[in-house]
Amino acid sequence: MDAVERENADRQKRWAKEQKVGEGTYAVVYRGREFATGRKCAIKKIKVGQFKDGLDMSAIREVKYLRELKHQNVIELLDVFSSKTNLNLVLEFLDSDLEMIIKDRSLVFLPADIKSWMAMTFRGLEFCHRNFVLHRDLKPNNLLIASNGDLKIADFGLARDFADPGFKMTCQVITRWYRPPELLFGCRYYSSAVDIWSVGCIFAELMLRTPYLAGESDMDQLKTIFRALGTPTEQDWPALSHAYFFAMPHPTHPSKLPKIAKEPSSRTAEEVDGNVDLASTGPGVKAKSRLKRKLTSPNESESKARSIARKLDFTKQATSP
Amino acid sequence: MCVFVLIASLSTQPLLQKVLRKLAFSPQTFEDLGVEKEVAVRRRLAKEFNKRREDFDDLRSYNDYLEEVEDIAFNLINNIDVQETETRIATYKAANAALTALNLQREEAYALALKEQEEFERKEREARAAQLAQEQQLEREEKEREQREIIDKLETSQKDARAVVAKSRANAAKRLATVSGAGKPQGLAAMGFGFGADYAKLLKSRTTSKKGSNFVPDEPHVPFNDDWYSYDDLYVFKEGYDDVVSEAVRKDREGIMRAGGYMVHEAWQRALVSAVAGLDLMPLEGLDDVNGTTPGNLDSNGDTIMATV
Repeated sequence: MDAVERENADRQKRWAKEQKVGEGTYAVVYRGREFATGRKCAIKKIKVGQFKDGLDMSAIREVKYLRELKHQNVIELLDVFSSKTNLNLVLEFLDSDLEMIIKDRSLVFLPADIKSWMAMTFRGLEFCHRNFVLHRDLKPNNLLIASNGDLKIADFGLARDFADPGFKMTCQVITRWYRPPELLFGCRYYSSAVDIWSVGCIFAELMLRTPYLAGESDMDQLKTIFRALGTPTEQDWPALSHAYFFAMPHPTHPSKLPKIAKEPSSRTAEEVDGNVDLASTGPGVKAKSRLKRKLTSPNESESKARSIARKLDFTKQATSP
Repeated sequence: MCVFVLIASLSTQPLLQKVLRKLAFSPQTFEDLGVEKEVAVRRRLAKEFNKRREDFDDLRSYNDYLEEVEDIAFNLINNIDVQETETRIATYKAANAALTALNLQREEAYALALKEQEEFERKEREARAAQLAQEQQLEREEKEREQREIIDKLETSQKDARAVVAKSRANAAKRLATVSGAGKPQGLAAMGFGFGADYAKLLKSRTTSKKGSNFVPDEPHVPFNDDWYSYDDLYVFKEGYDDVVSEAVRKDREGIMRAGGYMVHEAWQRALVSAVAGLDLMPLEGLDDVNGTTPGNLDSNGDTIMATV
């Protein structure tokens, strides 16, 4: 047994698999525990062998970025080890996710709850963007809620670092309902603004308790977006007609964005205090400066929202996931 | 076919005083042939003897008339003095032809009036139903419009969502009061649309919780709560750089970069941060600790410290 194998065996011994909690296309998730401390964890066993090229891309992406990112609002990768031919990722265990909470009609959201969740999402996302990582799959299902009310961004299976100038990225990312129009139009060069769009959709969903822009196909998604927010014109969105899949759906709708959204330079911190402008972030608005202003705008008490989040009953969900 | 044969043969029979005609045959309605006959007789008599109470001076003569009619009917039904009865009918018919015709007209007029009234009532009922349906449709549309309006307002206005919802709820209540008067208290509850109802509950719970003792005063919002050094004292970010690599991207002749919102300055910032981030790390620092690497030599994250810095 060489040093690597011994090291791996030591790692493996630290974690105990307990119960299967879910199965995805490329991984099986178990609930587990750390032997030494009794701390709960989730063990994601990556299925190897069904892919010709070895490991699945998303597993590699997940390890690659989670090894680097340590933040209060980003899920923590505790350990990685291999067993036989499988790769195992040991992740923090979180009881619930925002999708479950949105769907549970018995829970009433206070404005403070939503503000707190949005603030935590933005903190986590800002941390990713600060480290030049695009998440590219933000949706309520991927925002996990810990039993103490903390929100953590999870599932970095589609994440990548910012592309160097002139390098293409794929546009087939982000779950459709949360996908921004530039990706639907097939743009291969985009920025951190794509994640902000997703957060805007999540915000609207938290307010409405139902998905805000639910398209049935990629084209229908564009139609849905334009029906809700108006069809962009050449002035709103220069060079749009150069997009790869460019085809403007009919009928067109007049813009419903507040005038202020069209002139990002005139926006100030006071103006973004309102709730709704977040959902109306158009492309071309500088995502980063927008995000910073968002984070510096005043918010309601978080500890209050946390105390409410703690009241959510997680014990039920933990036993029967 | 056999009926025709039967009629043809029977009509030649001298036994029958009555001429049988095919037209006079009718399907049997009642099981008892006696009843069937009585109905036929009375139907025939009703055509002739149609005098009314108004046609007589006093009740007595009207009753006498009714008795006579009953008499004739009885005779015809039971085949008593048929010949004589028929002559009675004929004489009566001749004597009262004018009055009979008048009464017939009257009856027809009455029947017509009844029919007209019925028609009128039916139309009225239909109109009422249509109006009701229209009202309901209007109300539904109004409700839908309102909901859309709320969503639109939530989308576009800068106002507080609660204020928007509360305002439109107040409008809805006002409208309902004008439409249906005051006698419809359950309408409001039925109107509790979607999240509007939730918000009402929510507002209530908020006010009660504020009165309660566990009310926590607002803390100031802290945008960033992690320990973060952005290195921004180590570099000055310029508007543009003489960058050969990104030149094509910046010119962007086909506009594909602009369309997708790619930002060159993100790449520049990344390059700058990467360049300055490790400047304060001393070369070869910490090597001594790593020399005696054992399996137990872990950093705070549980990673084994390898022999690199």
